[in-house]
Amino acid sequence: MELNRRGFFKVMGATSALLSAGMGKARAAWVSKAPPDPYGCLVDLTRCVGCRKCEEACNDANSLPPPDIPFDDPVVFETDRRPDEKTYTIVNRHSSGKIDDRDKLVPVFTKVQCMHCQDPACVSACIAGALTKKENGTVHYDAGRCIGCRYCMVACPFEIPAYEYTNPITPKVQKCTFCFDRIIREGGKPACVAVCPVEAITFGKRNILLVLAKNKISDLPAKYIQHIYGEHEAGGTSWMYISDTPFEKLGFTKVIPEPIPRLSETVQHSLFSYLWSPALLYGLLGGIMWTTNKAKNKDKGGSDASS
Amino acid sequence: MKNKNIKTILLVSFSFVLVLSITSATPQSAYGAKTPKADDVSDNWIAEDQAKASKRAAEVVPFVDKVVDECRLFRQQKLRKMKLSVNDIDNSYFLLDSPIINKEDDQYGPVRFMHSKHAASVGDCSACHHYRPADENALETTRCSACHQESFMSDHPERVGLKAAYHLQCMGCHQEMAEGPVDCIGCHVKKVPDHADFVKLGVNPGAIEVTKECLRCHANAGEDMLSSVHWLWEGPSPYTLCKEKKINHGKRSTAINNY
Repeated sequence: MELNRRGFFKVMGATSALLSAGMGKARAAWVSKAPPDPYGCLVDLTRCVGCRKCEEACNDANSLPPPDIPFDDPVVFETDRRPDEKTYTIVNRHSSGKIDDRDKLVPVFTKVQCMHCQDPACVSACIAGALTKKENGTVHYDAGRCIGCRYCMVACPFEIPAYEYTNPITPKVQKCTFCFDRIIREGGKPACVAVCPVEAITFGKRNILLVLAKNKISDLPAKYIQHIYGEHEAGGTSWMYISDTPFEKLGFTKVIPEPIPRLSETVQHSLFSYLWSPALLYGLLGGIMWTTNKAKNKDKGGSDASS
Repeated sequence: MKNKNIKTILLVSFSFVLVLSITSATPQSAYGAKTPKADDVSDNWIAEDQAKASKRAAEVVPFVDKVVDECRLFRQQKLRKMKLSVNDIDNSYFLLDSPIINKEDDQYGPVRFMHSKHAASVGDCSACHHYRPADENALETTRCSACHQESFMSDHPERVGLKAAYHLQCMGCHQEMAEGPVDCIGCHVKKVPDHADFVKLGVNPGAIEVTKECLRCHANAGEDMLSSVHWLWEGPSPYTLCKEKKINHGKRSTAINNY
């Protein structure tokens, strides 16, 4: 086969058409693996009083190391913190920008932990199957399967998974467990939820919580902002927030309203399904090699004959 | 810095020994005979109203499923027209110690709630008794734990549990009125864990050892003590024997028993 310029473009055109057709087919075929009726938590930020009992309860329930600054010391609010390998959840203090009738700034306290996405990016990125999305909504981590690649940390849109860099022998990825062992029991609640003195966190089925959140917002439209953070963020999360202050002011990341794995998995599954794209690529390269070799041999043969 | 630490140790152990000596000096040992009061006041004695309040706190009343949805102002007017006042109160004192709350966690002691005092100073029953049961035979003002029991009931997702109901009501009102405590220990006594599990001391420990053991966990308390007036006081002491001419007699300078 003589591969001239025209022929080459023909082949490439056909390939790209095939590729885009494949992509289109896979995009339509991407299905969410979100559990239908997961548990969730609704955090009402207007209720949180910043007592940090949730942090203390979490530390206790998960046998985490004691904190550097005691749980009853409000000095921690001076810095903006993130969950790390020693703390699964933290409470930060922000300013709502409002002043109360005694001329004091009204604080807003925000609890930060793993959002337990419906279609988690970390689960999609995990190459060892250490992270899984359970039926009850938990994004569950199995340390026995983890190989320490930390792709989950790169993938997470909320920057939650943390790594035990200080533990060289058996390092683990650490994040909120949704108190998996507790909530699988009848009537069990996550430790932070059970301890909360003002029920700033409501625990229940996600579908019921969504209705509750919508009712709360429509009952008091002047109080709450018209947004449930976590309803659509990253395709929906098990943890959701309602607030009286815009979420951008409270350090909440703006996340696209569709599942993060949709694009990556579509690309991945359409390009690499049945290994057709590498097969095609190497086939093409092989073909080019074969034809050029053939031409070379012909030339060689020709020159031999002339001499 | 080292000197400061030693002084802290000396000081705290002094106070510890002082407390020990006070507690061990019971009337019996001091006077050799029982005072008549010691018979009445045994460790098990509980005040009558306290006993009544604890008994009432332990009750779990039947759950009120439906309430009359009344506007807050309407309800305020209604209760005023009924002429409800402090005189109608049967229980002037409550112990907020429901078993509904206590099965979850028990970090703090129960709140002692002065019902009559609150009713008198607020003067508006509807501030707390914000709904009434739909059952017409029920009391107009029912107790909190009739409607607020378990958290996150699937039939009543909007209704908060008893613990949250108490906290939201108390703290919300205290904040709004700028009166009354809004922190944990303003209302609760914190349950201190049994120190027998933590304290590790040999037989007949010395004063300095005891202080060191205390400071092992309570280092900050020692530091705080050193900057307080209990440590820093000083002045002339014309009536103290052998120190009559001192003008800077004080805890940190010339006093003895500073462990």
